[in-house]
Amino acid sequence: MRLTRPKPLGLGLGLRNVHFGHILSEWPAVDWFEAISENFMDSGGYPRHVLNRVAERYPIMLHGVSMSIGSTDPLNLPYLRQLKRLADEIKPAGISDHLCWTGVLGLNSHDLLPLPLTEESLAHVTRRVRQVQDILERPLILENPSAYVHFAHSTIAEPDFLRRLSDETGCLLLLDVNNVYVTCFNMGTDPLAYLDAFPCERVVQMHIAGHQHCGTHIVDTHDRPVRADVWELYRIARARTGDVSTLLEWDGNIPPFAECHAEVRKANQAIVADRPDPAPDSGVSNPVDFMVPQVMDSTVLANA
Amino acid sequence: MTGLRDIQMWMQDALRFLADAESGRFLAATARLSASAGLAIYQRSYFQRIVSCMREQFPALCHALGPSLFDDFVAEYIRDMPPESHTLYDLGRRFAGYLDQTRPDKDAPEVWIDFMIDLAHYERQLFVLFDAPGQEGQRFATADTPDSALRLQACFALGAYRFPVAEYYHAVRAKSAPALPPATPSHVAMVRTAFLTHTMPLTETHYLFLSTLRDGHDADHAIATVARDVGIPPNDVRRSWHSPGGMRQRWIDAGFFIEHHG
Repeated sequence: MRLTRPKPLGLGLGLRNVHFGHILSEWPAVDWFEAISENFMDSGGYPRHVLNRVAERYPIMLHGVSMSIGSTDPLNLPYLRQLKRLADEIKPAGISDHLCWTGVLGLNSHDLLPLPLTEESLAHVTRRVRQVQDILERPLILENPSAYVHFAHSTIAEPDFLRRLSDETGCLLLLDVNNVYVTCFNMGTDPLAYLDAFPCERVVQMHIAGHQHCGTHIVDTHDRPVRADVWELYRIARARTGDVSTLLEWDGNIPPFAECHAEVRKANQAIVADRPDPAPDSGVSNPVDFMVPQVMDSTVLANA
Repeated sequence: MTGLRDIQMWMQDALRFLADAESGRFLAATARLSASAGLAIYQRSYFQRIVSCMREQFPALCHALGPSLFDDFVAEYIRDMPPESHTLYDLGRRFAGYLDQTRPDKDAPEVWIDFMIDLAHYERQLFVLFDAPGQEGQRFATADTPDSALRLQACFALGAYRFPVAEYYHAVRAKSAPALPPATPSHVAMVRTAFLTHTMPLTETHYLFLSTLRDGHDADHAIATVARDVGIPPNDVRRSWHSPGGMRQRWIDAGFFIEHHG
């Protein structure tokens, strides 16, 4: 599959339930939105209605959390067919997921679990990425996950793993700068060395997010503003990737839309090395507030 | 050599059962985290993520039980029925049934457990209706629609409970801290129009009528069923159905029906 980098979309935000009303009434000047695929692929209700309307006015990227590309279970073909159907209807600028697995034996932990990075894993994921791309009829975009463990059997560094995977399959890459920072801190490795080794020429999108620093380690909480160190890493990475779409992930303790929008616009300051204002100082890795619709606000009790 | 499958089976079990035996076999300490400490972050996140979603899907049940006891029930639920779906929306699909199957009071049933089970069923139904394919943007039945063309719309459900769970749920929504209600049978229709789900209390007779329609029969059949099962003369049921401001008109106005042709 030929490697083609799509046109950069600018600065985007995640399409989150708590912001639906604001978006539909104000049509804010955001460059693009990222929709969590699983939140919309089964939806026949208000979430899907909102996505349809938003897709009429903004570019959309579909970002998945359950493809489980690294699982040793068979690929979930009904899931992939649903994803393809959603993509055919929404016509996203791209479809992304994570270099991870979410479960085996038919289970789903709903977490982005790390893979041991071995030749066996690389061969396994390579086969599956090819299958997925055949089904989706487009290159898959894969993101580096945040990690808290190191597998004793790993033999390949993550940037090398992703480079070889992209070489073999033509898949594109989503560089999550916050994940680089979190993982490197937790592993005790150098994030700049990670970027040095990363195939930045394959990157078509970047993620930025806030995290919780717990002293001994960092948790990827997406529940607060981006930290100054991550903005700095973003600036360095952006110089290497060139102009690519950038998205702010804010998934826990989600503030009003205007605050999220203001945060992602700091990326413009970061690019010109004008350091954005740093964020003030226990959370869950990959929080899921964004997954849960506010059902209680959408129901009324009628009189008998 | 340890294969990828072995590692994934081990790690999934470690998350589900909070075990860290063999973590040293598969994981190496990093400069910051021991193998156990790193694994513990995944273990904690797995549980907290699911509990957080379940609290959102069952807010009234969480209120009724209190967060701590609710979390305990969820922990047992996901241990016995771990998530299988690609979507977190399915997390609560089997919860009410699980509570019913595993109730701890089998020998001496306790009323409050019946209430919890019924409330869980009601909350799940609301959650399903929130995101189900609906009738928005399409035509509804009108007063001119003949009985033979009336069909219940797609986003419609009926509920029969041993407690007034809908009132309890909406009292929680209104933040009025309701007490556990006494056992009183309740019947409701739930319908979504304009992306808002309405719960309408029903009499047992109306519930029977709508149940007959839901089962695929027409209004004439529903009238006959009510007449037979409740012991009301068929003409009286028919009059009640067609009278101005009667069942037919109210339910059409409430968006229960579409007009079906063919």
